[in-house]
Amino acid sequence: MSLETTPLGRERAGLDSCVHCGFCLPACPTYLALEDENDSPRGRLVLMGALLDGTVERDDPVVREHLDKCLGCRGCETACPSGVPYGRLLEAARETITVDRPLPLVARVVLAVFARPVLLRPALAFARAARALGLPAIAVHLLPRRLAMPFAMLASTGRAKAGTDLSDSRAAASHPPPGAHRGTASLLTGCVMEGLFTGVNRATERVLAVNGWRMRAAAGQTCCGALHAHAGDADTARALARRNIAAFEAGGADVVVMNSAGCGAMCKEYGHLLAGDPAWAPRAAAFAARVRDVHELLAEAGPRPTSGAGGVRVAYDAPCHLQHAQRVVAPAQAVLGALRHVELVALADSDQCCGSAGIFNLVQPDVAERVLAPKLARIAESGAEVVATGNPGCLMQIGGGLVLDGRRVVTRHPVELLDEGYARGLGPG
Amino acid sequence: MRETPSFPRVTTSAFPTVADPAAPPAPVDVRALAGALAGIVGPSHVLTRDASLLVYRSDGLPGLARDPALAVFPGSRDELVAVMRALAAVGAPFVARGAGTGLSGGALADGVTLLGLHRLKRILAIDAEARTATVEPGVVNASLTKAVAPFGLHYAPDPSSQTACTIGGNIAENAGGPHCLKYGVTLNHVLRATIVLPDGTVIPLDRGDDGGYDLLGAFVGSEGCFGVVADVTVRLTPDPERVITLLADFTSVRAAADATSRIIAAGILPAALELMDQATIEAVESSIYAAGYPRDAAAVLLIEVDGAAAGLEEDAAAVETECRGAGARGVRVARDATERARLWQGRKKAFGAMGRVSPHLAVQDAVVPRTQLADVLEEIQVIGARHGLRVCNVFHAGDGNLHPNIPYDAGDPEQSRHVHQAMREIMARCIAAGGTITGEHGVGLDKLPYMDALLTAETLDAMCTLRDVFDPERRSNPGKVVPVRACKEWHGAASVRGGQA
Amino acid sequence: MSDQPRNVRELAGLVRDAATRSAATRDAGLRIEGAGTWMDSGHPVRAGVTLSVGAMRGIVAYTPADLTITVDAATTLAELDAATREHGQWCPLLPWGDDRGTVGATVATATAGPFAESLGRPRDLVLGVEAVDGMGRVLGAGGRVVKNVAGFDLTRAITGSWGTLAVIARLHLRLRSRPAVDESWAMVMDDARDTPGGVSRNDPGAALREFSRGPHAPLAMLDLAREDAAALALPAGTRALVRIGGNGAFVAASRAALQSTAGATAVAVEPATWDRVRTRLAPGDRALTWRWDALSRRLRERFDPARVLNPGLLGEEG
Repeated sequence: MSLETTPLGRERAGLDSCVHCGFCLPACPTYLALEDENDSPRGRLVLMGALLDGTVERDDPVVREHLDKCLGCRGCETACPSGVPYGRLLEAARETITVDRPLPLVARVVLAVFARPVLLRPALAFARAARALGLPAIAVHLLPRRLAMPFAMLASTGRAKAGTDLSDSRAAASHPPPGAHRGTASLLTGCVMEGLFTGVNRATERVLAVNGWRMRAAAGQTCCGALHAHAGDADTARALARRNIAAFEAGGADVVVMNSAGCGAMCKEYGHLLAGDPAWAPRAAAFAARVRDVHELLAEAGPRPTSGAGGVRVAYDAPCHLQHAQRVVAPAQAVLGALRHVELVALADSDQCCGSAGIFNLVQPDVAERVLAPKLARIAESGAEVVATGNPGCLMQIGGGLVLDGRRVVTRHPVELLDEGYARGLGPG
Repeated sequence: MRETPSFPRVTTSAFPTVADPAAPPAPVDVRALAGALAGIVGPSHVLTRDASLLVYRSDGLPGLARDPALAVFPGSRDELVAVMRALAAVGAPFVARGAGTGLSGGALADGVTLLGLHRLKRILAIDAEARTATVEPGVVNASLTKAVAPFGLHYAPDPSSQTACTIGGNIAENAGGPHCLKYGVTLNHVLRATIVLPDGTVIPLDRGDDGGYDLLGAFVGSEGCFGVVADVTVRLTPDPERVITLLADFTSVRAAADATSRIIAAGILPAALELMDQATIEAVESSIYAAGYPRDAAAVLLIEVDGAAAGLEEDAAAVETECRGAGARGVRVARDATERARLWQGRKKAFGAMGRVSPHLAVQDAVVPRTQLADVLEEIQVIGARHGLRVCNVFHAGDGNLHPNIPYDAGDPEQSRHVHQAMREIMARCIAAGGTITGEHGVGLDKLPYMDALLTAETLDAMCTLRDVFDPERRSNPGKVVPVRACKEWHGAASVRGGQA
Repeated sequence: MSDQPRNVRELAGLVRDAATRSAATRDAGLRIEGAGTWMDSGHPVRAGVTLSVGAMRGIVAYTPADLTITVDAATTLAELDAATREHGQWCPLLPWGDDRGTVGATVATATAGPFAESLGRPRDLVLGVEAVDGMGRVLGAGGRVVKNVAGFDLTRAITGSWGTLAVIARLHLRLRSRPAVDESWAMVMDDARDTPGGVSRNDPGAALREFSRGPHAPLAMLDLAREDAAALALPAGTRALVRIGGNGAFVAASRAALQSTAGATAVAVEPATWDRVRTRLAPGDRALTWRWDALSRRLRERFDPARVLNPGLLGEEG
């Protein structure tokens, strides 16, 4: 059966641009951890090519296994000299094989919940309640490591923040932005972000305000659909995308700002996602063009620095979906540079994936753990007290690993650190 | 998908000490072998399914593919030795493979066992005082440099694939790289090695400096036909005190080639001297590695001088003078490490960048005496034009090491035929110029057809003899480097046998 | 009995004849000679015939801008030096011994010299070889290009094999430009160090070793025994000899470093001093202890199955 008309078949040109050079191998966390090229970008591209050529069948378990094991971190894209659009190919391939083989049960349940606010909100509320009661921390102590990880991740989102001030920068109001305001922005509040990282969302709004952005709400927005797209459920992803596009059009802000790297990468891809839908394609492209990560917005004119010198030791870990998928590198450095009230320490291999990757750590816990292990080791070597990273999955994956290891190091979003710094006072310049 | 694995029969052997050539090894029972190997390395590190083996059909040269019968990935030295002995016990041929970045089809296993060494990636020792490091074969070239950087040292051989290729593979191919103009190729940086011979014997090898044959020198560059590296001790090079990188911009390829000769003749030994022609510049500048090369230049030279700070600016000035003397339109000096890295990034990713030009890429690797560069390059363009092909040149000009690459569509049989024919003509031209058919990529499968044109039958036969010293059963990477038919009985030797001890 | 072939074909014929004769006589072995001065390994060569390649001598091809040269085996080091000097180049083989020795013998024995560390050893400098193995096969490996990985490396096997795998007929060698400025310095050490039991506050030897590992690494640095100074007509108290080369600014910096070495005084000497050094300080002949492991035996056996090339030279029967 020809697959030329499938999502993968339509991406054939991208597949053909691979010259098999192998430069992607050392950039791939699953290849480094599992040591089989089938678990590398080159291997997966070969399998995708074999699908199209009919060399292997769509239901071949080898194909499914190795595509499932991909984190989708897209670290390979920044290592690839040929510009292979790996992320798009992966989603297309997953969508193509999912036609025949449904997703694993756990994935289906999670994705179904995320697609339905009516289910997701109570679930997250329950999680918050459990967190407030300290239940996850108890579970971590009682359960074997592998089962404890989800609880550790939840526990990590509510940990006390070492050496930093828990109070937010309500003082922001007393720091009016310099000069004219830069424009209006609506935040994609997100599902996990608003559910478990409410503080990060509020901090994002305050920090942007301090830097001259006027925030506007965008009612009716929903989950970005990244988890669904990565898993091959493109139809649900498209449905969610349409709702978001409509919501932010109605909101009318100049830019749509993201503080979750994974959501940002997805929203910037809406144009591609809906390219086959004539009614929505132009709207999707226009929407995608308005999407900015919070680091990008802040870096446009600064950001304004915090005051002080030295302080808590902070290491930055670049979220894959910020560094590799969105290629946002310098703005993140600019934000770190504004954190005068902390001491920045180097983190080796900070461009390597932590193993979070959406719901990957739920469906491939073993692989996720093996990818996380070197990350935790590098964090320990760095001497950091705080790991800053701008993506909820990474915050929880690294945070959960630190909880399981009994380490005192905590994870924070960079805008939280900025927010706390502003609360103490603005720096010169 | 694949026929029953066929194991090459050892049909010829030069000397009677070799197992009776009339008796081929018993056919290998793949399933039993896989079971035995799984017992050594664990079942997850033995691949036997057709789909799982697909990615291992090719190395960095996707135009060539062969189906391995199975793949095995030992994770420790003990496992490696046990695997080699298990293979020897049943007379199974095998092909060692590192990261699969080679560009000659050298790591293709045609119906035999593919032995992946990429899991052997430990750096065993770093001796900063003696400036040596001992590593396992699967250590990635660039990761060794990264590991020794805190000591102000680096591993000098720097093939363009250095971020991915392994030291073991570098040894098999005697890999070069831009900086081997000054610092020498892999051979010049390998001090000692422990190897596993195809029969499973583990032996130390050195260069024979204390009274012995240069067995290690013979082993380096043997393309996996002599055995497998278990560990290797390499020389580390102190980081230069200062580096100056220049980009010279020419309106003709001939002028750039002339500048190369002038620089060398002026007695300057740059660390690197690389030429990229217009087609290559275009590919690089269109990729994410856009390096800021002038798109309208017919060719650029990327030149680096390094060493002590004292005198380096004089060298750089002399380089600039020679470039301008040869007609350079402009010479730019990288202002800082960032710009330098950017200029190099474009060069090192050039092969991959050509991937976007067309679906397939024919990669060549010939060497000519440096003074022949300009003439040969011009004729390569003529040959390309005659076949309706575009030739992209990106190469180590200082060494005379050409890399004419032809982007094409392998799905087009007519174009493929032209590519094949053009490559033959280019090779013939390089041989006629007193050159050779490969400077650093190796012969592998890809260049086998040219060996007869380059070397005499007697020399090819002697190369088979050298191989037989290490691998008398010819089980290690069978069918590579020397055309099998060349390994014939040397007729003059017939009468010699009686005199043998 | 002595044979003197004029070219590689004649050479091959003679070796082939010897291999054929070896079945019938014990005296078929060939003692391979160039200038005939070097081949003492401390082991007797059991050969009935001396095979001299002395007639195969001279520069075959030399394009200076290629920085390579092709010479016949019996070309002397002096001839090689003269031919290349003219073009501001040299072949840095510069082995221990004098320049009457042949290029072929230098390569056959892989004899290095005081410049090996900086300029390369014979094993690094030989680009290709034309040779005749023990069965009379004419082998041509490598060539006039500086990079070459076409086929198995016969050149490396033959270099340093003392003529026991093949008789070298012709060589392709890598050349280098001579340094624009080339200075040699005798390092005269303060007396305090040489006083029996005396301890100097300075350790100029250590300082020089550090210098030679640093960015201003010299072309050569040689520690000298006290008696060497007189034998080499160097200033009294010279305990190290250093040669520095490069462009003017580099050499000036190197010189300044040498002159500031605490506990030593740098005295300029002629570069020709190094010719005396190579001759007078050449390590004496001593019995060569060859590593005869299984691979080495097999190598010898496969390339010279009749044992006609320098039999006994490497003590293989001992």
